[in-house]
Amino acid sequence: MSQPIRLTVNGTDLERSDLDDAERLLDTLRWRLGLKGTKEGCRTGDCGACTVLVDGESTLSCLTLTREVEGTRITTIEGVRGEPAGPNVLTAFGAEPALQCGYCTPGFVMALTGLLQEEGSTHRTSNLVDELEGNLCRCTGYRSIIRAIGALGDELR
Amino acid sequence: MTRSDGPAKLEGRAEFGTDVEVPGMLWGALVYAPVAHGRIRRVPLSGVRSMPGVAAAVGPDDLDRLLPGGGDRNRPVFPRTEVMYRNQPIAAVAARTASEARAAADAVRADIEELPALIDLETRFPEWPGPEAARSEGIIAHVHARHGDPDGAFRSADLVLTETYRTSGIHQVAIEPHACVARVDGGVWHVTTTTQTPFGVREDAAEILGIREADLVVEGTWVGGGFGGKGAAFLEPYALLLAAAAGRPVRLGFGYREEFLLGRSTLPSIIRIETAVSGRRIEARRVRLLLDSGASLPGRDFATGYSIGFLLGPYKIPAFEMEGYAVRTNKPPFGPHRAPFAPQCVFALESHMDELARRLAVDPIAFRLEHVWAEGDPTQFGQRVGPFGARAALEAARARIAAWRTDAPAGHGIGVALGFWSTGTGAGGETRLRLSERELVIEQGEREIGSGSVIRGLVAVAERVTGLPAESIRVAYSDTSTAPYDTGVFGSRTVGALGQAVEKAAKTLLGILGERLGTPPVRLEFAEGRIAVLTNKGLRGLETLLTDTERTAGGLLVGGRHFGTPGTIDESRVLDGTFYPYSDFTAAVHACEVNVDPETGAVRVVRSAAFHDVGVVVDRPMAVAQIEGGVAMGLGEALTEEALWSSDGRLLNPGLLDYRIPTLGEVPSIEVVPIEGFLGAGPFGAKGLGEPPVIAVPAAVANAVAAATGARVFELPLTAERVVRALKRLEGPARA
Ligand code: FES
Ligand code: FES
Repeated sequence: MSQPIRLTVNGTDLERSDLDDAERLLDTLRWRLGLKGTKEGCRTGDCGACTVLVDGESTLSCLTLTREVEGTRITTIEGVRGEPAGPNVLTAFGAEPALQCGYCTPGFVMALTGLLQEEGSTHRTSNLVDELEGNLCRCTGYRSIIRAIGALGDELR
Repeated sequence: MTRSDGPAKLEGRAEFGTDVEVPGMLWGALVYAPVAHGRIRRVPLSGVRSMPGVAAAVGPDDLDRLLPGGGDRNRPVFPRTEVMYRNQPIAAVAARTASEARAAADAVRADIEELPALIDLETRFPEWPGPEAARSEGIIAHVHARHGDPDGAFRSADLVLTETYRTSGIHQVAIEPHACVARVDGGVWHVTTTTQTPFGVREDAAEILGIREADLVVEGTWVGGGFGGKGAAFLEPYALLLAAAAGRPVRLGFGYREEFLLGRSTLPSIIRIETAVSGRRIEARRVRLLLDSGASLPGRDFATGYSIGFLLGPYKIPAFEMEGYAVRTNKPPFGPHRAPFAPQCVFALESHMDELARRLAVDPIAFRLEHVWAEGDPTQFGQRVGPFGARAALEAARARIAAWRTDAPAGHGIGVALGFWSTGTGAGGETRLRLSERELVIEQGEREIGSGSVIRGLVAVAERVTGLPAESIRVAYSDTSTAPYDTGVFGSRTVGALGQAVEKAAKTLLGILGERLGTPPVRLEFAEGRIAVLTNKGLRGLETLLTDTERTAGGLLVGGRHFGTPGTIDESRVLDGTFYPYSDFTAAVHACEVNVDPETGAVRVVRSAAFHDVGVVVDRPMAVAQIEGGVAMGLGEALTEEALWSSDGRLLNPGLLDYRIPTLGEVPSIEVVPIEGFLGAGPFGAKGLGEPPVIAVPAAVANAVAAATGARVFELPLTAERVVRALKRLEGPARA
């Protein structure tokens, strides 16, 4: 145990002094803060299930030490409605529906929200698809996810 | 949204097995055997018991102390004498934190005498085994069947084609890893787990632990993908044992590395197919199969006798002989994987069918149509084929690829394959429907694993029978102590089998309402949050039809039960082992167009179409989603997915970086074409759709690669390297 860490998670300011130095953001979110919507998959950066936004940028929480993100603003799936692009992404994924088991889904929603909010984002469906290559889904064969991305359309953003 | 679990899953509110947490919970970790085969001398645990945070450590010496009779002698929780595969769990630790548990487990130094390990099938059988091998050491199952006079047919044939195919080990790779939380409380063993089969886990774990099923309660969670990998008991017995030792709840979960290292899935095989043809008719076929069963125990092979029939295929073949060996090796036990071993058999068979057609200079689809079963034909074992959409599916595929040919770029190849599967199997299950003034509740014992078969499929059945809209129907879950019995989500059976129980219960419900009304209901209606019954005399609110007791006790309660009646096979054709009858005859035809890079051998699938003999479509969006997902999985099996073992039994690619599953940009467009009208036994004639979508994909890809290049790849997956080698063979002297 060491220096307290300050974080803003889904709009709430927190200060914790019970974290291990080597603790991953994924574990802090899930097991200390109870935010289990962020999913634990591979823990090696290969599946995307653990994606969250750190200062608006899509980030793999399994490869991030909590200490590294001291002082940042973190958004998880539980807070995605408060992000500018969040509601539209949720609507598009829900309408399709672009999910089956749903385990990969929070990761996709966060990654896509992050991409759409990138400064000066000019993403088209095709390059969004390229950008999401790091998010794996084993159930859907991705076709419904691609349709959901397409349905987001430019006007919805 | 068509699925009611959508919002919770989208917003991260659905609790999966990995998310379960209870107060006072300890973290478990397993100790893994450091050798692939060995004799256990000692697993000393006293040292780790005093490590920081450790609350319990259990190994083979603790089984007698903690379990009635020490648990199952044939399948002990931890091996007492012999390690059968590398990383086999030999002990377990529970500690305050995950890292303390891992550190303690890693500190265990087991004394194990290493023994020679058998990893590779071809080391065991450099030549095809003769019949004398059937009873030899390490053969856990042998199946053998014959019909007609295959030897005579081979002697008089115009053409005999003999080919050998090989297939690789694969992993299910559900994105959610295995996890469970166990506790033992007042003599009741309790486990909350991510499983396809809560009742299956109860049966299996109780047997392993040597306790009564009635003393074990299994509670399912949302399941983050199963694909066969979350069927029988897996982590649960270890977690329960730790909880018993620690006297506190214990969470045990896998990381992905462990998923790969210990997962139970399809293992490698070698398949030989010989066919005798006269004119252009198949007169006889001989098939032989060597299947790697890993460390499966005798009597626990389910794949060999079931799958080998898929090597004869859904084709009229007057004479045949088939023989298969399930070979014990020092790998994790063989386990089910979406349509267990069928994509591999169909790859071999349908590659072979294309090669036969090529030698006979016949169109491959025409060749199949000349031989494919129709309703009423006898199977290999004399069972009558039921309604079967294979012909219609092949014809639809023929029309589609004719259209593709008009705009496919030069050099692209188009391939088709016919898959066959028997759906709706598995013993059965029951349901209770509870109708109140405000909703219809389907009480049942499965959990939704993703396909939508529970959350949407069962609801769709109730909708169709009662007329109620989906928003008035709810699926209820409970644990095995209170839920109606069901064998679980596998074998493409939820809608087909449990759906029949729902259908029967819903009809009974309407019958009871009809008696109370004195006239049969036309349907139930739902308006302003209330349920009413429509008859030809008008609309009656349900509140006037329920008894006081029913209103107090939560509604009118009716049960429905469905247990399949298996067909029979002509046992006189069976020479050894066990073969199985088919239930619903289900065809799956896949067509795809590929482009092959002649330099690198890389295969790109550019478009595909899937023709599925579904009986009737119960819910179109779910059916499409199911097929798209299955096709993508089949593409992985076709092109990249391969477990690689070293000769000493080390898995060389235990992670997503080296074991590649399809990514977002790699799945081509998939046109889904349901073939309806060939009715199965399920509700309204529905057939199962969980497994068929994956079955024909690897074969279709292989046939498309052969069409594009002229080169036949005889081994799954069709990695770039294997394609390049096949291309080289074409150029080389072997061409003649
Ligand atoms: S859990 Fe972080 S990328 Fe897989
Ligand atoms: S919906 Fe199951 S992994 Fe994507």
